[in-house]
Amino acid sequence: MTYIRESGLTYPVIMSTHLACIAVFGGMIVMTDLRLLGVALQDRPIADVINGLRWWKRLGFCIMVAMGIMLAGSKATDYYPNPYFWTKLSLLALIGIHALIFRPRVYNDPEKLDSSPIIPTRAKAAGALSLVLWTGVVCAGRLIGYYEPPNQKGHIVAANEPRP
Amino acid sequence: MLLIQSNAIADALNSSEWVFPIAECFHIAAFAWSIGLIALVDFRLLGVGMRRESAAEIARATAPWTLLGLAVVLLSGPVLFLSDARMYLHNPSFQFKIGALVIAIIFNYTIHRKVALSNSSTAAVQMLVGAVSLALWVSVVFGGLFIAFA
Repeated sequence: MTYIRESGLTYPVIMSTHLACIAVFGGMIVMTDLRLLGVALQDRPIADVINGLRWWKRLGFCIMVAMGIMLAGSKATDYYPNPYFWTKLSLLALIGIHALIFRPRVYNDPEKLDSSPIIPTRAKAAGALSLVLWTGVVCAGRLIGYYEPPNQKGHIVAANEPRP
Repeated sequence: MLLIQSNAIADALNSSEWVFPIAECFHIAAFAWSIGLIALVDFRLLGVGMRRESAAEIARATAPWTLLGLAVVLLSGPVLFLSDARMYLHNPSFQFKIGALVIAIIFNYTIHRKVALSNSSTAAVQMLVGAVSLALWVSVVFGGLFIAFA
């Protein structure tokens, strides 16, 4: 962890990987949510979208979390007082609850959604909430870099804070 | 050049401490949206992901949404740029990012679109185009982040 914090290139590369994963895997979440809302790829079954992307989304999530742990762990004393960091983790926890609520009746049984003539409300709710929560996570994540702790002697400016 | 440095937008951006972060949030959310949707086509070209749909179907379904995302990216980007134009212009990472972005956009709307929609390219060509597209867009993201570290 000390190595990551003090290295020249490693920390930004880890953060870039974290960001690149948002870009590459974010679209899978967007696609799933748009399909659940019924606004994209409407002529193909919901099951195709959910089943096709399931393991890739999980892989992306694992990489994201691994990068995130390295980022936060290497600068734990900077992240600990940061309210945006805790907001982000809270939103991630809400996403976990979202999964618990919607997995049994939406994500684990997409064929059932396809068999009904219109998309059930619970599927649309899952998609809409997912979009809102994930957008929140991304925004909170970016805002982490803007938090300035109250002035203390010897506070070191984190590398990811914007230039003054 | 003087106008780029001192204009109304720059003043608005620098007088409120929230304008830049909000513009950035739009920028990041929008690129996650658009690059992600392009990545869906790329994954399919690479033969993974939503395999029951053809690359052409995915490309056609995502095209309007991708365009919307890119529009927000390309509108929020200059807002960020104008907050400190001179710094960005001299930042090597920013220069790299814009170069990669131009190539990525051109590639996306020419070769990538053609191969994705045609369904008649060989698997090797499809995989190459998908890989190049992913590489280009990931380069843009890396370039963007390194602006703060350059």
